[in-house]
Amino acid sequence: MSVHGLHIRKCSFVILGAILMAFAGTSFYNSRHLREPVVLSPGVTQVKKLSDYFPGIKGTINDSNIYILEGTEPGGTILILGGSHPEEPASRLTTWILAENAAVEQGRLLVVPSANRSATTVTRLGGAYPPDFTIPTPWGGQKFRMGDRWSNPLDQWPDPEVYIHYPSRQELAYVDIRNLNRTWPGRANGTLTEKTCYAMTQLIQKENVDIVIDLHEAELQYPVISTIVAHQKGEDLAALVSMMISGSEGFDIGMEYSPKALHGLSHREIGDHTQAISLLLEAPEPFLDATRGRTDRALLLEGKDEFVLRAGKHGLLFEKMDEDGWPIDIRVGRHCSTIIYILELWSEENPEKAVVARKIPRYAEVKEKGVGFFLRDPTKEDPKNVYFE
Amino acid sequence: MKRIHPLSGVFLSFLIFASASFSFSIEQTELPKTDLPVLITSCGQSPGPVRLKAIFKKLDLEYEPKAYDVVEFLTAKDLKIYKDVGTPFKTLIIVMGASLKGMGAAGISIEDEIDRVSELMKEARQHGMTIIGAHIGGMKRRAQGATVGDNTDELSIDAVAPKSDLLVVIKEGNADGRFTIISQDKGIPMIEAEKLLDLIPEFEKLFKK
Repeated sequence: MSVHGLHIRKCSFVILGAILMAFAGTSFYNSRHLREPVVLSPGVTQVKKLSDYFPGIKGTINDSNIYILEGTEPGGTILILGGSHPEEPASRLTTWILAENAAVEQGRLLVVPSANRSATTVTRLGGAYPPDFTIPTPWGGQKFRMGDRWSNPLDQWPDPEVYIHYPSRQELAYVDIRNLNRTWPGRANGTLTEKTCYAMTQLIQKENVDIVIDLHEAELQYPVISTIVAHQKGEDLAALVSMMISGSEGFDIGMEYSPKALHGLSHREIGDHTQAISLLLEAPEPFLDATRGRTDRALLLEGKDEFVLRAGKHGLLFEKMDEDGWPIDIRVGRHCSTIIYILELWSEENPEKAVVARKIPRYAEVKEKGVGFFLRDPTKEDPKNVYFE
Repeated sequence: MKRIHPLSGVFLSFLIFASASFSFSIEQTELPKTDLPVLITSCGQSPGPVRLKAIFKKLDLEYEPKAYDVVEFLTAKDLKIYKDVGTPFKTLIIVMGASLKGMGAAGISIEDEIDRVSELMKEARQHGMTIIGAHIGGMKRRAQGATVGDNTDELSIDAVAPKSDLLVVIKEGNADGRFTIISQDKGIPMIEAEKLLDLIPEFEKLFKK
């Protein structure tokens, strides 16, 4: 080939690469900057920022919104975290329903839809995940970022060769230094993810939070599924909630102890380092299973997959899987009802620290009407009442 | 047409009669004496005892100083101490089914748990305690619901169920009839409840007299 021909060939590849970069870059940019509206429920009395509790997080992508719903009567305080792992969308969607619908009569409910906002702006590298998904609503649909389990490397990079958890000094997987549920209780001078946990620990202490509920989803091949993982301070409450739900809500939820020797997780560290009881809820999400088929929006929202189904037939799953799959409405509904029971049973046992809330839909209602029914149209609202995640 | 042997009808009638008589005898097996106070522990460090505690809490039992207690690592030595200090427990409930997380966190194995519980049961016998083997975790606390190759749940059941005075199980965990077979083989009465919540009236009958 002549030198001239070689130059043309090289230039062609450069141009082709630039075009591909432009397409991918636009997709990444749009995904990172997608504005997700939250229409404030009339029950929201104020919206704070995480940096109000720890200025070290100010100006970062993780300076998340905290929606505060206060009752007229004094009582306890319950913090609900969504988006610790944004690739588990039932967690964020549940917090949306709370922030847009709930009304508190006694005590306070603090709702954080994007506990790790950085992780909402990226998907699994090399995983071919969809960048976003849309929940159908009576007024059209609302688009959400898909997100990942870890903070975006654009916000926290590079990862260390070895991650030593602070303050336990336990060695964890190196990549988990970007995992919000491995960096509790956080560190003021640490990485972005550690600072985020530190800020939330400050929030829990300063707001005198009684219970922290960290919402998650899990693959069906993981034994800790469809369960409440409870710090020992909350084991009685979790046992009671598990028993009452399994007997009356139309679904079963178990309970597991938070292992004392496994560090960095919310259900362990929040209970150990603050006054709060820490509970973590897991709902089933076939999208996360390693043996899944096509990783697309349909799988994310419908939870149907022939390969996961086949794994179930071979006894490889820890949760049932059939042709109906695990639709997002079921997963969100489970979280909603579990939260309702936690609030009710906690309030029953601790009347002076009660948190009484209304207008949180139950499992059966979310299952019947769909998640989108409970999302409000931001175009019909006073812009003052619309916040963005 | 295939000919039916005239004796086969007689044999079939005998089988029906025998099985009916057998079921009857199992149903009629008298329930053991179940008195307060109750000690609850597990064989396998599952959260089962805490879940049973939630049921006992709902029963609102009146007993001084304490109607029930949960002790995760209850040992034979503890039973002796309870007796020496004048607070002998009358009933021992051992929740079957293991938690690898629970045992891992405590740094023990299922063998350690079986040793502890075997000694505990022997001591309980000497104190005249009634032993209830409970399985309340459904298939999650059976080998079928555990990681492939993990048989700790079944070992826990083997260690407790055949030596119990009464079995209390949730239907789902007995889907393969494992507890029914033990109950029938050993003549141990069994209470089977649909859900955990259904154990409240059952325990009410046992302990709220």
